[in-house]
Amino acid sequence: MSEEMTTELSEGITQRDKYMTFKSGNEYFAIGIEYINEIIPFQRITVIPETESYIKGLINLRGKIIPVVDVALRFNQPPLEYNDRTCIIVIDVKATVVGLIVERIAEVVTIEEEDILPPPSIGRSNKVQNKYVYGIGKTGDSVKLLLDLDKFLHDEDSSIAEQADSFAELEE
Amino acid sequence: MAEEFNTEDMLDMYLLENGQLLEKLQETVLEQKDAECFDEDAINEIFRTMHTIKGSSGIMMFDNVTKIAHKLEDIFYYLRESKPDNVPHLELVSHVLDVADFITAEMDKIRDGNDPDGDPTELIDAMDVFLKQIKHEITKVEKELPPENVYVAPNQFYIAPVATSGSRFYQIVITYKSDTQMSNIRAYTAVYALKESAEDIIYFPEDIISNETSSDLILKYGFRMLLQAQLSEDEVRKIIDTSSEIENIDIREVAAEGFFNSDFLKPIELDTAAAPKQEKEEKTEEKQGKDIAPGDYVIQSKEPGKAKQLNKNKQPKASKQSFINVNVEKMDQLMDLIGELVIAEAVVLQNPDLKVPGLELQNFQKAAGQLTKISTDLQDVIMSMRMMPLTTTFQKMNRIVFDASRKLGKDIDLEVVGENTEVDKNIIEHISDPLMHLIRNAVDHGIEMPEERQAAGKPKKGKVTLSAKNEGGKVWITVQDDGFGMDRTKILKKARKNGLLAGKNPESMTDREVYQFITYPGFSTNETVTEFSGRGVGMDVVVKNIQTIGGTLDIDSVPGNGSTMTMKIPLTLAIIDGIVMETAESFFVVETGIVKQFVSVKEDMMIHEPGGEEYVMIRGECYPVIRLNRYLSLSEENTPVEDGMMVLLELEEKMVCLLVDNLIGEQEIVVKPIPKYIKKVRGLSGCTQLGDGSIALILDPASLIG
Repeated sequence: MSEEMTTELSEGITQRDKYMTFKSGNEYFAIGIEYINEIIPFQRITVIPETESYIKGLINLRGKIIPVVDVALRFNQPPLEYNDRTCIIVIDVKATVVGLIVERIAEVVTIEEEDILPPPSIGRSNKVQNKYVYGIGKTGDSVKLLLDLDKFLHDEDSSIAEQADSFAELEE
Repeated sequence: MAEEFNTEDMLDMYLLENGQLLEKLQETVLEQKDAECFDEDAINEIFRTMHTIKGSSGIMMFDNVTKIAHKLEDIFYYLRESKPDNVPHLELVSHVLDVADFITAEMDKIRDGNDPDGDPTELIDAMDVFLKQIKHEITKVEKELPPENVYVAPNQFYIAPVATSGSRFYQIVITYKSDTQMSNIRAYTAVYALKESAEDIIYFPEDIISNETSSDLILKYGFRMLLQAQLSEDEVRKIIDTSSEIENIDIREVAAEGFFNSDFLKPIELDTAAAPKQEKEEKTEEKQGKDIAPGDYVIQSKEPGKAKQLNKNKQPKASKQSFINVNVEKMDQLMDLIGELVIAEAVVLQNPDLKVPGLELQNFQKAAGQLTKISTDLQDVIMSMRMMPLTTTFQKMNRIVFDASRKLGKDIDLEVVGENTEVDKNIIEHISDPLMHLIRNAVDHGIEMPEERQAAGKPKKGKVTLSAKNEGGKVWITVQDDGFGMDRTKILKKARKNGLLAGKNPESMTDREVYQFITYPGFSTNETVTEFSGRGVGMDVVVKNIQTIGGTLDIDSVPGNGSTMTMKIPLTLAIIDGIVMETAESFFVVETGIVKQFVSVKEDMMIHEPGGEEYVMIRGECYPVIRLNRYLSLSEENTPVEDGMMVLLELEEKMVCLLVDNLIGEQEIVVKPIPKYIKKVRGLSGCTQLGDGSIALILDPASLIG
């Protein structure tokens, strides 16, 4: 038992503060490395009809069928052209395994806890995007937006652009 | 962390074993519900079951369960010892069933992670009254009443023997050589060996596994056992004498009377100062629950009851099947892996690299043939592992008929046919509810009151037949009653009232079409709402439940002679035969069973309605057309019908034509759920992997046609 605990602990230590960063649109985003299962090259996606536009469909990951989400579409950014450099990051958040299609994977960085700032209140127009960012991490000269994956996957209020629009209308 | 796991394991074990015990109990009770009174075996069994539940609940500290089990045990203790004559049997039956229900409900709460907070006081009071009543009626016996079955700590109870003829009683003292290591483990081995054939066995020291100091006691005073078994002295000696460490075995046969009350075990308790202290330790151990060593738990759960039950049924040992309980998740995992193996195999064997012209592959083909055979066998084995007989599900129905018929004042027999039919475990879970509903309907709506039956010239006792059989790759489960059947005019009247007849000519409808109306929401022709049925919620839910597992419900009825409901359900959900087709560059699968035919149609067979609906005339019949690509909003294109293929589907006598781009072929499909992350999609019921690794979506015929 004690051995198990120590390995868990040490894993915790090595993984803490490490983030995987990727580019989407003009921003760099970061995901806690402990959520990441693997990174796979882009592969054929089976379209699922009548679902949210950012859910691109299903892929077959060695016999496991998992859904894939287009990150750019999720952020209401212009859709990407998929090419050889497009990657799928397979994440596991509370036993939900999902693939994220990202434009380009950058690097793994270490962001110390004291370098993480709360997200600044951005203007109204950026509201939707702001929802999934729980902090801003400084590494050297650049900043990375830290993604709240739980909200990113499950927050429905602003998932679809139309819905977001209709909410905006309601508010006005 | 390990400790936590341990209690969880124990909890699982507790729920599993007690669940099984309760099921067995209900079965026994219902078997004898029509008898004058319980026979001796049944009384002993109920007593023992309650005792075991009480013991294990005590360990797990579920006080309410402990209390109620104890009370029922009291009653049966009295029944067994005093053998009173005029016990109101039905009342007793209902007490037992109430207790079983209460404990089952508590266990459900525990399983869901809630506190078992049910209040047993009312039931206990009722049973108290009952117990007093039966005691009072036979005052003569009361004088010789056995000492009150006092509830102390669970582990200080033992189960008194069933006095079967041929049983012999022994006092045994095993002495080990003074230098023996771990004599407690050796003693346990002896107990364990005897358990197989013993009817009852108690021993001292009791806590041989958990308490290490017991080994000293054993060395000092010998290990003492009281054994009841149908064995000769030599046989007993043979079973025990397996270890070279044993110095002497003293076996003495004694008379049955007062056997378990003898002082045989006591001297040690009296002259060892350690004994009371041990007991105390034991108690705290019980309280904490998790400190108990795994071996100890085996003893607890294997209370003498189990070995005895087998003996009692006189089952020859050879036919005893051994079972293990496996987590369903692991089975599913294995199933998945085998599914993947089959696909991987196809990928290897049909690899394009092998298709070099002129390549000699004789040995490869031989090896490949071998591999295919093994993987097919593997698939068969895992499928058979998932199959379970319907017996338990059907037994539950016994209870429902009993309850319902008693409350409604009807006399009804339930006949069960083919309960050994095997069905996939997942499916069994899904049919229990619909089946229960159908049975209730039959009892409540179907069977008439006894007077009405007599007036109609039928036997007073109603009969419900529940049968299962395999036919055409499906399981047919039929609920048939010999009641008054369904009233066509009544149903039509109600249908008109509910506005279901719009545009239909009732005269031209077949009986079966009319009966289908009862599966509509809010449809019940029973004037009075009873506890069991008649609220009009029900048949629609039943049909929906059956459809989710890919089954159908047939309704038939002969006025005056009863109705027949037939569920036709697939044997398994995990693997289906499917037709693979392609539309808008995606693959889809529809189960083979509902496909009537494939038709190539020409534009001149099509009928276009102004509203956009399309129909096709095939051999004089007109069917609605669904363009799959548009139905699923994959593309807006209207492909010319000549380029596509029409697939004629039939479900519950409704037909529809599905237009797809291409047919790929028929194959066995390993069904997988669509990942939960994706919300439920209309028209799809699952997904699967094809031989080349691509994904196909499985169409849900009910939503396509419905």
